[in-house]
Amino acid sequence: MTAAAETDRALVDRVAKGDRAAVRLLFMRHHARIYRFVARQTGSEMMADDIANEVFLELWRQAPGFEGRSEVSTWLLGIARFKALSLLRKKKEDWIDDEAAAAVPDSADTPEVVTMKEDKAAALRRLIDALPEEHRTVIDLAYYQGQSVTEIAQVLDIPVATVKTRMFYARKKLGEALKAAGYDRGWP
Amino acid sequence: MSAAEKMSRRDEMETLLPFYLNGSLEGSDLEAIEEWLASDPAALAALGEAEAEFSGTSAANEAIRPPADALSRFAKALDAEAGPARKPASASWLAQAWGRFMAVPVGVAWATAAVLLGLMAVQSLVQPGGKGGNFEIAGTEEDLAKMPFALVKFKPDARMADIAVFLDANKLKIIGGPTADGVFKLAIPATTAADYDKARGLIAAQPFAETVIEGRKPADGG
Repeated sequence: MTAAAETDRALVDRVAKGDRAAVRLLFMRHHARIYRFVARQTGSEMMADDIANEVFLELWRQAPGFEGRSEVSTWLLGIARFKALSLLRKKKEDWIDDEAAAAVPDSADTPEVVTMKEDKAAALRRLIDALPEEHRTVIDLAYYQGQSVTEIAQVLDIPVATVKTRMFYARKKLGEALKAAGYDRGWP
Repeated sequence: MSAAEKMSRRDEMETLLPFYLNGSLEGSDLEAIEEWLASDPAALAALGEAEAEFSGTSAANEAIRPPADALSRFAKALDAEAGPARKPASASWLAQAWGRFMAVPVGVAWATAAVLLGLMAVQSLVQPGGKGGNFEIAGTEEDLAKMPFALVKFKPDARMADIAVFLDANKLKIIGGPTADGVFKLAIPATTAADYDKARGLIAAQPFAETVIEGRKPADGG
């Protein structure tokens, strides 16, 4: 087996034996996705940077106990989700609000006018970003992180049926918002 | 099927579409989606809409750029957590020397081979079962002294790495050499003359083998 073909699980086994090169390989494979996931969860790249680092230190610590019941990517996303929520609960400082405030475009246009100026792809991207966090998260996990219904349930620690319900409403809201923006897609 | 039931099925299919697109759907859900895509004219349009969402979500995520120095900062944090990296094991200088040697054409490396094989043999006495990469160099001296063997000369441009892979795959071991004219002694794990001849023929057929001379053959070889 070549190093390039080595599976994530084999690398975690090596990490469990104290192999630092293996944890660096896993970092290179998964860091960007974990970073983006946390950035989207928290709305803060500063927090994403801290948490993503912590996730891989946690991988180093917990590797001996990894039983392979889930994919390594799902496991890491679950750790990231837990750490993001913990930090968000702890930190209610003003700087989060400041970042959110700074993200609001300085424009006199109403949302409808902004939408009219966009093409459909840009509108869709903006509307995805504007979804409530719990809906946007399932969209991100399915479309970007490639997670199955069951894996999303593991990452978010919610029932499988709830994943489906959130996906249904996320897509329904997207459809309604697109329709309001002049792009009827036939459903809902 | 009533309008309400039809809508309900559409809702269910729309819910599953993202998982169909990311390739994680299986079993009855996958069958249901594929049947819907094949039978409902609206389904392909719905798939197109989901693909646009897929692209939009990917673009939104990819627009977030992780810091370029993330790995180096993580490596420092890991060192702080785990302590300084362990020094290589005491024998590794020899393994490294062997590794470098394996990349060198045999013709250039005969002299080095003699030195390294000598060192490996010494080390195998200190560390029974010691290996050089995947290439087992020697067993106990007593075992090897009794084994059938052949005398082999490799082509000057043969690579030690290729030879090592071949020896390892066929459970052959270098137990001596090289002589001044580049002949190695190869132990052959054969219990019959037929097995010995087969192994010898196999060695001779390799592109890196120049000459293979019969050494000790099992007793039934007559």
